[in-house]
Amino acid sequence: MLAAIRPDSWNFPLFLHVFGAIALFGGTASVAALGFAAQRRRDHAGVLARVGAWSWVFVVVPGWILMRAGAQWILSKEYPDSDKAPGWVDVGFIVSEPGAILLLVLGSLLWLSARRQGAGRAGAVMPWLAAIYVLALGAAMFAMSAKP
Amino acid sequence: MSPYDWLLFLHVAGAFLLLGGTVLAGLFTFFAVRRERPSEVALLLGLIRIGVIAIMAGSLLTLVFGLWLVHEAGYGYGDGWIVAAIVLWVVGNAAGEAGGRRLDKTRTLAGELAAQGDAPSLELRARIRAPLPLVLSYGSGLVILTVLALMIWKPGA
Repeated sequence: MLAAIRPDSWNFPLFLHVFGAIALFGGTASVAALGFAAQRRRDHAGVLARVGAWSWVFVVVPGWILMRAGAQWILSKEYPDSDKAPGWVDVGFIVSEPGAILLLVLGSLLWLSARRQGAGRAGAVMPWLAAIYVLALGAAMFAMSAKP
Repeated sequence: MSPYDWLLFLHVAGAFLLLGGTVLAGLFTFFAVRRERPSEVALLLGLIRIGVIAIMAGSLLTLVFGLWLVHEAGYGYGDGWIVAAIVLWVVGNAAGEAGGRRLDKTRTLAGELAAQGDAPSLELRARIRAPLPLVLSYGSGLVILTVLALMIWKPGA
């Protein structure tokens, strides 16, 4: 079979969407790795929590915005009548929109954890929350690429 | 789901691991450069290993399933955008490996300094801020990002 070629006008929004999703995936995985490392290295928990908080500000949040804006842009081109969008598009919405609330909770926990030098319950919960979101992004990636 | 759908999923999963691992490695390098205590530099550079595992798995998946997709989708192995993507994939991985090896030597030095009192060191500061490993590491990320752009635009396809 010859793969379907998209209209050229779809490429830039798709690039923004994929680039944002990858930044979000890598940034959230970084936050999870820092959180788990902080639990093992209590002597450096403070610096790891601060690095996690800055990663959230500079990579996770911009990644989510790019991913979501790119998604809306390409959806408007590919399915101008969004009622007719296929089911795999809904998986993206399910992961991205409640995911924004989860990311806000994650950011709050990171801020609390950084203020307390990585100590306390916020630092213990935060990496698990980040890991769950990484798995959810993996599920969305499956839906977006395989389009089951 | 057709074989094409499965191959595309595995190829894209590889791209996420490759570029996601690159984001993680880039972030930890960026923050390690800004730390003074050797133990903190060693810890952040040590965490890059998680990214390296993702990069290695992603590199393998993108190449194997990418080449399979070329056949399945009816493209030609000699198409310009595919040849360019393979060349850039090799260049990006080689640059990342060379930069990573230099940063790993810096991590070893940081670990030694941490064991000897953990005082800030001018030698460590010079090594962690040396331009060549940083250019190689960040440059490899940009090259791999260019491969992503080629995969989306497919110029000449």
